[in-house]
Amino acid sequence: MVAVRGVSKWFGAHQVLKDVSLDVAAGEVVAVIGPSGSGKTTLLRCVNLLEDFQQGEIRVDGEAVGYAGAGAARRRLPERVIARTRSQVGMVFQSFNLFPHMTVLKNVMVAPVRVKKMPEAEARASAVRLLERVGLADKLDAYPARLSGGQQQRVAIARALAMQPKVILLDEITSALDPELVGEVLAVIRQLARDGMTMMIVTHEMQFAREVAQKVVFMDGGAMIEQGPPRALFADPRTERLQTFLKRFREGYQL
Amino acid sequence: MKLDFNFILRNLPTFLEGAVVTLELSALAILCSLVWGLVVVTARTAPSRALALAATGYIELVRNTPVLVQMLFIYFGSAVLGAPLSGFAAGLLAMTLQNGGYMAEIYRAGIEAVSQRQVEAGMALGMRRHEVMSIVVLPQAIRKVVPPFTNQAIVMIKDTSLVSSISVAEMTFHAKLLTDRTAAAYEVFLTLAALYLAINAIVSAALRLLERRVAIPT
Amino acid sequence: MLNVLLANLPLLLKGAVVTLYLSAASAALAAVIGVAVALLQLYGDPVTRAATHVYLYVMRGVPLLVLLFAMYYMLPYTGIDVGATAGGIIVIALYFGAFMAEVFRAAILSVPRGQWDAARALGMYGRLLMLIVVVPQALRIAGPPFVNTCIMLVKGTSLVSIVGLWEVTMAGRQIVERTLAPFQVFGGVAAVYFVICYCLSRYGRWLEKRVSYVH
Ligand SMILES: Nc1ncnc2c1ncn2[C@@H]1O[C@H](COP(=O)(O)OP(=O)(O)OP(=O)(O)O)[C@@H](O)[C@H]1O
Ligand SMILES: [Mg+2]
Repeated sequence: MVAVRGVSKWFGAHQVLKDVSLDVAAGEVVAVIGPSGSGKTTLLRCVNLLEDFQQGEIRVDGEAVGYAGAGAARRRLPERVIARTRSQVGMVFQSFNLFPHMTVLKNVMVAPVRVKKMPEAEARASAVRLLERVGLADKLDAYPARLSGGQQQRVAIARALAMQPKVILLDEITSALDPELVGEVLAVIRQLARDGMTMMIVTHEMQFAREVAQKVVFMDGGAMIEQGPPRALFADPRTERLQTFLKRFREGYQL
Repeated sequence: MKLDFNFILRNLPTFLEGAVVTLELSALAILCSLVWGLVVVTARTAPSRALALAATGYIELVRNTPVLVQMLFIYFGSAVLGAPLSGFAAGLLAMTLQNGGYMAEIYRAGIEAVSQRQVEAGMALGMRRHEVMSIVVLPQAIRKVVPPFTNQAIVMIKDTSLVSSISVAEMTFHAKLLTDRTAAAYEVFLTLAALYLAINAIVSAALRLLERRVAIPT
Repeated sequence: MLNVLLANLPLLLKGAVVTLYLSAASAALAAVIGVAVALLQLYGDPVTRAATHVYLYVMRGVPLLVLLFAMYYMLPYTGIDVGATAGGIIVIALYFGAFMAEVFRAAILSVPRGQWDAARALGMYGRLLMLIVVVPQALRIAGPPFVNTCIMLVKGTSLVSIVGLWEVTMAGRQIVERTLAPFQVFGGVAAVYFVICYCLSRYGRWLEKRVSYVH
């Protein structure tokens, strides 16, 4: 569903992604782990072109993301085309980024209506259904500022789902939450995984990664160091960098 | 449109004569407002409620009425009182009264921007009240004050043009006279605008420099 | 003492109405100019950006009075005839439009990055993104400084009396010429401005309180 091939990215002279390649099959959940600053967020943002990348190619469901041609002929696609790709890729952010001037219901409805031109009534019905699914049926008319972090994040998930995306990108979606609110958000993701949603999840919750992911990708210093099924990867890390990383985690948390 | 540069050159001395008055009035008005603003902010933050209330009323009054009306009030009013002020004096007084109100608010914002914790930190180091004020609070407050002060200074320089309407022979006054006499409107107003732009550019560059000097290095 | 004021109250109030009209018309026009210039400045091509830069530089550096004079002295030569009142409104709007451009530009820039990201991630772009996500939030942020600029504008309309337009300040000058009672009359004129501007400033403060929702 998502194919990343040899992607490199620079911020000025600083290379933050180094020849990264990985695949996410349809219905698969891939967890991306790695130390802070290793480029996880940047990789995710490249998949829906919130960040430009200078080399390599990314495909979502076979369609090239952001660029056409290769080498000297490589050029950025028109914004309209990029926007259409983005509308097929959902994204949930660490800081929720709900639209503060819209009610919960409007937050979820606005993109289907305005971007996908879905009839208002249909969009409303689907938004209500999604909000019920994330347990927020009673908050339809509330504004985001009135919700807890966990509730806001669940709205953000519903908002992403409302576009019926082919894949959802989740970037440390529980990092900004109070510990007691993490569970309610992870429960929603678990259910999505069971329903066969394709997801790329950047997370520091190793236990969660092990539990929901079919594949774990370890990044360090902008490069993809190791990938594999969680059981194998966690039990038997082949590279020293992953060993060090996991050791630090085991010392910190109980894994 | 063809500009007559000779005309501009020929009349440059007239413009410069006006520019001197503009600069004089600007400098005096800025200085007086700086000082008067200190007086107003002292009253505004005074422990006495009556005084603070009076200062607040004063600030609201001068900020919510046009400086032009204040000038006319003072200029024609002083004449009726039998102690006529010159246009220059009336203009200076009006600008000081109004901008003193603005400066007071700028000072207050500067002082309030320094957190109470900074004051406590100073006290904890054994400083006395006035030492805390002069060593901790003021140096930080000044940094907050300089940028809005720069804006206000430019506003004041531009406002000096208003005294042309109470017969002070500054730049705009001369320009108007010249247009009435020669009908060379383009030349006159382009020169006039250029002179104001130049003055404001120099003043804001100088104040920018000051801003950078006092800025906290990052 | 106040007899002079009472006797001339109808005229002053008539002037006040004209001032209100001048203010409202030029504020509306200035707001449009401000939004347009802010958008051009942020998202225009290099040439329009340079042009807006020149416009802002001139408006910030040249006194409003000089612009008004320039308008009245230079326009006759160009053959454009918009009439004195419309001319005054246009000049005031151009002048304060520059300040409003700054207000709107700052407001647009203070819409958090994450809002743009979220909108883009949902497939919005260009005008739709601005219209649905950025502008509504920017307008709320811009509310209080916009009202402050309007206060400056209302006071600024008094300058048209110098170039011969009739409004409340001009009415005041005429009454003073007849009655030689500057304190009462200009006091009354000041009161007119004060009422308008004070109401605006209360409104601005109310907006400021209301606006501060959490992102
Ligand atoms: N806008 C930017 N400009 C310049 N450098 C950036 C920018 N965004 C990120 N970087 C750099 O790119 C590198 C990768 O950052 P990224 O946010 O992708 O890391 P991350 O793995 O998500 O880290 P974390 O776990 O802390 O979220 C870092 O070194 C960071 O400093
Ligand atoms: Mg990150």
